[in-house]
Amino acid sequence: MPPGSLALLAQGAVVSLLLAAAAIVGGTLLAVLLAAIAFSRFAAVRAVYRVYVYVVRGTPLLVLALLLFYAMPALDLRTGPYIAGTLVLIVYAGALFAEVFRGGVLAIPRPQWESARSLGLPPLAMFRKIVAPLVTRYTLPPYVNVCVMSVKASSVLSIISVWELTLAAREIIERTFAVFTILGVAAAFYFVMCFGIDRLGRLLERHLALKGFAGERA
Amino acid sequence: MNFARWVAIYGPTYLTGLGWTAVTAVGAACGALIWGCALLLIRLSAGRWGARGVDAYVQLFRNTPVLLPIYLIYFAFPMIGLPWPAVVCGGLALILQNGAYISEILRGSVNAIDRVQFDAARSIGLAPWSTFRKVVLPQVLVYSIPALGNQTVLLLKDTSLLSAISITELTMQAKLLTEQTGAAYEAFIVVALLYLLLVSGTEVLFRVTHRAVRWR
Amino acid sequence: MLTSRIRHVVAAALVAILVAAGSPAGAQEKSRLDIVLERGKLIVVTLTTVPPFAFNDDKGQLVGFDIDIARLVATALFKDPNKVEFVSVSAEGRWPAIESGRADMGVGGTTTYPDRAIRVAFTRPFIDSGISVLVSKKSGIKSLKDLDQDKYTIANLNNPQMADRAKRFFPRTKILTFDTPSAQFLAVKSGRANALQIDTPSAEYWAAQNKDELGVLPGLLGASQNNGIFMKPGDFKWWLWLDTAVAEMRTGSWYPQYSEIYHKWFGKAPPPQKFYLQQ
Repeated sequence: MPPGSLALLAQGAVVSLLLAAAAIVGGTLLAVLLAAIAFSRFAAVRAVYRVYVYVVRGTPLLVLALLLFYAMPALDLRTGPYIAGTLVLIVYAGALFAEVFRGGVLAIPRPQWESARSLGLPPLAMFRKIVAPLVTRYTLPPYVNVCVMSVKASSVLSIISVWELTLAAREIIERTFAVFTILGVAAAFYFVMCFGIDRLGRLLERHLALKGFAGERA
Repeated sequence: MNFARWVAIYGPTYLTGLGWTAVTAVGAACGALIWGCALLLIRLSAGRWGARGVDAYVQLFRNTPVLLPIYLIYFAFPMIGLPWPAVVCGGLALILQNGAYISEILRGSVNAIDRVQFDAARSIGLAPWSTFRKVVLPQVLVYSIPALGNQTVLLLKDTSLLSAISITELTMQAKLLTEQTGAAYEAFIVVALLYLLLVSGTEVLFRVTHRAVRWR
Repeated sequence: MLTSRIRHVVAAALVAILVAAGSPAGAQEKSRLDIVLERGKLIVVTLTTVPPFAFNDDKGQLVGFDIDIARLVATALFKDPNKVEFVSVSAEGRWPAIESGRADMGVGGTTTYPDRAIRVAFTRPFIDSGISVLVSKKSGIKSLKDLDQDKYTIANLNNPQMADRAKRFFPRTKILTFDTPSAQFLAVKSGRANALQIDTPSAEYWAAQNKDELGVLPGLLGASQNNGIFMKPGDFKWWLWLDTAVAEMRTGSWYPQYSEIYHKWFGKAPPPQKFYLQQ
């Protein structure tokens, strides 16, 4: 393997992980907001949610990134590739997380809602003590799935010149032509990151299930 | 110039891009379906090692971004003597990636088939291949139509990545027009709208098929 | 009580609207030169795969002729060649980075063209260039005429001038379009394309690095060209200063520093300061 390339690829992997982390944190926050909008009393507000999710899920991530990166100067925003890329990932992950949360809330059986309401708890307490724990357990697998998708999505940002693992690999290849080796190592880095997140998620799932909640086996 | 005029002038140039996107998407979708069925067959018939092999394959493609196989096949294959055209390279990468996901979708549906049917098939002397073709596959495909539709939409969106290997599909077309005319907003908004159209069209197609097949 | 609240809100809104409306229209926008001096750092957008103008060396450091010129500009501003931040982009990404204000100026083998100058402003050239065609020797192409057949493929960069030249000089050749010069280069090396068009110094650099496989076709596509520093148009103070800096580098007081950089990357002396001076 060309000298120094392992170090560069490792750095790239760290950047990819950071981008994914930003997408996950930002996306989750955005998704909580979106999910609240999704269950609003007003049909017009719910429509905003549906349009947002439709557009973000119906357009390729690359097109969203290019749109933000090349068209944003028109809005006078000082976007370099990194800011534009992170914003796009947050927008994208936000939509996916919102759908996961919405699905989780909808999956709560009716009897649970009724018994929760019959307890007479104020809405915030009801959310904290009943809705949130249930939704967490129902949505953990798809949530982890979106986290893995965020890591893979960061590779698309290489096309708008965000320096991360895929771009690092491309740059090394274009200098040294060791295509198979470098792409193999890059794939290995991605695999470790994604598989790792997946396993962590499963561990978390099992840990939460042990607490014996919502009919899960202890 | 304003949006409407720009679209009127440059709209027709998108047709090439639209054509290539459609061709690669349809081709790769069919290829991925066939490859997914093949993977399913291997998993069902080649014993423990077959199943493990398919598992490893699926895990590999689920945990790596699709840009890597695209670059690999496009740039590396000519170096080992296989200079296939860009569309073939890109299509192959998409097929390998989506075939993995499709085989998982189909596997989920296989479990929905009653075990009794396998015993019945064996008792009337059907060979494994015929069992697969006449009993398993039709039911599995029908059960999977909604999930397959979802996967096809993902594949359609992934065709935009083929712009990285210089295939003149929709996204590449938008980039070329942006450079030519400096109108980034217009170029990319039109492309986004076209993708939304294609995605909605695909979803409608699958929903209609699902309903039609369920009636049988 | 409600009416007084409404009045306050309306008043605040009016003030906000007036401030917003007032600022872009008549107000004097600060020159980029002042902004850079205040900031204490220069932000430069550049391509990063056009050797010897700007590229990553084996240690992954960004180096090159244009990089050193940018550092020279920083030295003129801050007496410190390290007060520069480089933003790396692909070919089309150069213009949005300037237009959005993310970068103060740009370099990277960027050629001055009239239609390009509508979007970004250029200083006078800091180096001559021209477009050459790099070919793979295996393809057997010996001249531009040879190239113009549809069994050959050329790798272009994603900009309209390349597309134009392709149409003008070899309309029959098949075209591949890439984001970065190194992708073009990889295409030729891997056999995807038989040729590429790029600035002459880059073509010669790559040919020198791959003497057996690659060669440069004689002659230029079109005329000798100018590579300059580019920036957002309309800012006269910034353009004037940058242009003055380049003038002094090529023909005046900073010629020694310019000459040193030129020797480092091209192994020969730059064109003389003034035609009537013997160097």
